[in-house]
Amino acid sequence: MFFRAAWSLVLRKTGPGIRGMHSPGTHGEGKMPPYTSYHAQRTYPMPDEPFCTELNAEQRALKEKEKGSWTQLSHAEKVALYRLQFHETFAEMNRRSNEWKTVMGCVFFFFGLTALLIWWQRVYVFPEKPITLTDEWKAQQLQRILDMKGNPVQGLASRWDYEKKEWKK
Amino acid sequence: MAHPFQMGLQDATSPIMEELLHFHDHTLMIVFLISSLVLYIISTMLTTKLTHTNTMDAQEVETVWTILPAMILILIALPSLRILYMMDEINNPSLTVKTMGHQWYWSYEYTDYEDLNFDSYMTPTQELKPGELRLLEVDNRVVLPMEMTIRMLISSEDVLHSWAVPSLGLKTDAIPGRLNQTTLMAMRPGLYYGQCSEICGSNHSFMPIVLELVPLSYFEKWSASML
Repeated sequence: MFFRAAWSLVLRKTGPGIRGMHSPGTHGEGKMPPYTSYHAQRTYPMPDEPFCTELNAEQRALKEKEKGSWTQLSHAEKVALYRLQFHETFAEMNRRSNEWKTVMGCVFFFFGLTALLIWWQRVYVFPEKPITLTDEWKAQQLQRILDMKGNPVQGLASRWDYEKKEWKK
Repeated sequence: MAHPFQMGLQDATSPIMEELLHFHDHTLMIVFLISSLVLYIISTMLTTKLTHTNTMDAQEVETVWTILPAMILILIALPSLRILYMMDEINNPSLTVKTMGHQWYWSYEYTDYEDLNFDSYMTPTQELKPGELRLLEVDNRVVLPMEMTIRMLISSEDVLHSWAVPSLGLKTDAIPGRLNQTTLMAMRPGLYYGQCSEICGSNHSFMPIVLELVPLSYFEKWSASML
């Protein structure tokens, strides 16, 4: 109950520079105000300027209380002070997103589109394959290369066993 | 010649090409090491939870990654220069063959003793005999004696061409108005294929080179028959 009361301290929209939170637990962002000097990111998480610059009376009272001993502050008050100073917690700032699903979806979509284009090209654009790509010609070609001992050191002919007339195991 | 799905260089037929193969292995290994290191660093940078990005002073690592690449480059340059100078060694060729590039065929001249000239056109695909290599066979092959040092003089009659035979480690530009020289020494008999390696017009891909390396007696018989 106290927590909710303290939370209400933060939920006021009292002027530019303050971003309202929807409610605890939702991770959406409100509309970003146009001009603010607060800018935090994962590599620069704690800027000097506070998040909320214009404070109402309760918030100002809380800030006064902050000047005293921090052991006097309740947990809810500490959370409220944190929310005044910072926009998001580390956990909220570093949260994962579903962006990867969109990216992978688009990638696969373009794969499919490209596959369709390539298939259409093979059917309607490409000319006849030359005779040298038939299996019979390729076999005769291989025999010719083996006969002339092409690449006999480490290449093709080196893998052929000329005595047994078969590929080396 | 190259075979389907070949990944590396063709087997060496001359000693220089053997050197080049070993140098290629050495340099490629260095390249793979550097590439895998970079790939690893990229993957760690993308998956790290660390967020500090303001490091300004890093003298030790800066020194290391200046000195280490310099050493690697020296390690590559020294064998490279060694082979470069090896190619230019005096070797007393026994035979001189001249080749002129034309659009789009090669012509060869053996003029040491008699006057032997012929053109070498690519065999069109329709006229190939079964089992011949498409776009690589020619009507008149360049017959040369094996295990003998041969001087090749290369030039062009019209535009730039390049006379290349990969398994011998040869590639020399054919430049009109200029005579380029290279030496050829094949250790094995056989057929060695190459293709024109400088863009020269529409049939640039269709003017191959085929060397037929044979024992000296066969070469003498062939040159007598060609005259």
